[in-house]
Amino acid sequence: MNSNSWLEKLKTNKTFGRFYGITLLLFIAFLFWAFFKILTPGNFGNPAALSNYFLSSIIYSVGGCGLYFIVVMGMFDFSIGANIVLSSIVGVIASSHFGYPGLLIGSIVCGTLIGFLNGTIYIRLKIPSMIVTVGLMLIFESVAYFVASGKKQTLDAGLRAFGKAPASIILAGIAFLLTAFILRYTKIGTYCYAIGSNEYVARNMGINVDKYKRIGFILTHFFVGIMAVLTVSYGWSMTAITGMESMGRNFTPLMGTFFGIAFRKYGTPVTAIIIGEFIIAIIFNGFIALGAPTTIQNVVTGAALLIIVTLTSRPEKGAVVK
Amino acid sequence: MSESDKVILTAENVSKSFGITQAVRDVSFSFNRGEIHGLIGENGSGKSTFSSMLCGIHNIDSGRFILDGKEMNAHNQIEGNRMGASIIVQEIGTLNGLTVAENIFLGNEDPFVKFGIKNTSRMNREAQKLLRDYGYDRINASLMIDYYNFEDRKLIEMVKATYFKPKVVVVDETTTALSQTGRLELYKLMDSIKADNRTVIFISHDLVEVLTHTDRISVLRDGELIDTIETKSATEDDLKRLMVGRELGNRYYRTDFDSKTSGEVVLKARDLSVPKQFSDVSFDVHRGEILGFGGLSECGMHEIGKALFAASYGRKGTVTLANGTRIDSIPAAIANKIAYASKDRDNESLVVNNSIRDNICLPSVDELATNGILAGRSLDEFANKNAEMISVKMTGIQQYVSDLSGGNKQKVVLARWLGKDSDIIILDSPTRGIDVKVKADIYSLMSDLCEKGKSIIMISEEILELLGMCDRILIMKKGRINGEFSRNEKLTEEDLIEKMI
Repeated sequence: MNSNSWLEKLKTNKTFGRFYGITLLLFIAFLFWAFFKILTPGNFGNPAALSNYFLSSIIYSVGGCGLYFIVVMGMFDFSIGANIVLSSIVGVIASSHFGYPGLLIGSIVCGTLIGFLNGTIYIRLKIPSMIVTVGLMLIFESVAYFVASGKKQTLDAGLRAFGKAPASIILAGIAFLLTAFILRYTKIGTYCYAIGSNEYVARNMGINVDKYKRIGFILTHFFVGIMAVLTVSYGWSMTAITGMESMGRNFTPLMGTFFGIAFRKYGTPVTAIIIGEFIIAIIFNGFIALGAPTTIQNVVTGAALLIIVTLTSRPEKGAVVK
Repeated sequence: MSESDKVILTAENVSKSFGITQAVRDVSFSFNRGEIHGLIGENGSGKSTFSSMLCGIHNIDSGRFILDGKEMNAHNQIEGNRMGASIIVQEIGTLNGLTVAENIFLGNEDPFVKFGIKNTSRMNREAQKLLRDYGYDRINASLMIDYYNFEDRKLIEMVKATYFKPKVVVVDETTTALSQTGRLELYKLMDSIKADNRTVIFISHDLVEVLTHTDRISVLRDGELIDTIETKSATEDDLKRLMVGRELGNRYYRTDFDSKTSGEVVLKARDLSVPKQFSDVSFDVHRGEILGFGGLSECGMHEIGKALFAASYGRKGTVTLANGTRIDSIPAAIANKIAYASKDRDNESLVVNNSIRDNICLPSVDELATNGILAGRSLDEFANKNAEMISVKMTGIQQYVSDLSGGNKQKVVLARWLGKDSDIIILDSPTRGIDVKVKADIYSLMSDLCEKGKSIIMISEEILELLGMCDRILIMKKGRINGEFSRNEKLTEEDLIEKMI
């Protein structure tokens, strides 16, 4: 048996296949770490710093898990950045009256409602999800601005537990387990994959495609609501921004989602999202350690997005890409 | 057993049309319990449409199916399954990104769901047990289906379509995709369904296979049921005669049989291959000739048209003109007066959300422009002249192409290439879904063009059209040229079919 077919056999082995994906990702993380560590041995990547990178990356991983539901169905959502802003502001305002329950319930319920709205409008209008969500992003940004009365909303100093370990890890961990559970142990997971693979066949199998697309949007924004709690707790405050400025918040979670899609055949999409976001965090911080200006982050995000999407999508030859 | 006990499924006056094409017309017949019932017919005879309606893939326009005494009108495959009919389709019927078990139970997960939670391991165990019962142990139910090849995926589909013991199972041209071992598995499955006193509807182009494995055979032609015969009293020749045996309607075909084409070669194709479509195809096209390509729809002939026009991906081999110019890109093809009308008119030939004028002018805008500026008047004149030349039926050249019937759309495509004064015209299924009147117009236009010394390559699934119009016919089978015929009064449909299947 030659080494290639041997590797192929190992990859299809159920137990090892899973480890193969994770090992590959950890190896990539190690490569980037080593690269920046060699260039900047002093102030990059010691254990304490690494744990900081990880704690900031899990916030994006939660959003990445949410986006996964609609991206596997072949759709997209540009309004998650706007939802993070709006849900954070609603959460902060609710927390000033009801403490932690206010923060959690305010953000998550607000996020989920927006998912319901997005899904419903997308299904009713029957136009591409990208257009629908860009339109809604502008609306949500403005709503957030009115809700916050144009002022910065700061989270009370006694309510910032979800900004650091262990509470942040627990909350994110619950989100990760929930995502994995829904994907593996409910019909929703199966149907999301089926719709993404071939909507026509899925319809023929009696799957109510519109219903599951709406559920996809609701789940996405439910997790975005959780991400909002983590975001505002980590940064202590949130300011409403308008004019598409929330767009910047869409892409970091999205990169994790693409890692998840790329590694889904090894059966571990959620783990791939988590490690993928960690890799992105290592790269960001590596450049900062090198003394690159913070705008370099945008260059990294842009380039990484293009590379990851190119590597994970293999369009058919001659397929029309719009 | 009384007659009504014997019959399991009856079709009563079932009809279906797609746009102007009537795919199934008023078909009535019945299937017995415990029989393997062959369903044969040429391409487009309505076999697949008929069985798709039964299984819920297409809606029924009129008429009804009675399965075991109950009317059956399924709206999707799962509904069809619950009512007792399932189908193994021609193409891939399984979905990437799902496990084998998820594919087998897709749309039917409820037995494994309790309080919204899916018992994945029980589902996997159940699927594995089914696979074992069918003898496909080597397939692992909990793995992603992406790991398995086409053949294994067909086996999985066979399990998916039959594990719940449907009363009627349709096997729709599945065997063409299978190797010998896969075929044997399928025959075994069909026999076991029959032994269980259930029914198989077996659709195939392979007449020998149909004769060996069925009890009765029904023949469809142009969407109508021609006859149902007992297999043991039938021969291959009987079947062929039933499949094609209509009177040769030669009123609109060419009447001359003397090949008047010159020996002058205008286009040479050498060792052409396109991955997964056809391989090592070589031929010459002569001045003033109509060269026909025939075969079953999946034989690769449709891709030949694209390859000549340099519109194929991964093409190998060469296409050269008489003067040695190589045709390696679509612009080169057009610049050298090669025209191509695709089988898929709406998606590959026309910009349907645009006017007739713009569609006709599209490849000629360079010539119509003066110093890079397009004048509306010259476009109007050009479009009008060419549309009138082949009498496109329209309110005016500003009318949108989307408003036109299939026949008039095809005329717009032809007008475009007439305007370009093309010398080599590739027509893929030029009369598909087109009524008799426009068909006659297109045939007479083709004859006129050849008189003027133009060459036409006609790819067609209609054998009569090939016999009626072509100077030379190349028949393809499984991606290779399998026979060549010259225009000849004595040539029959059987001669061509012989080389196709």
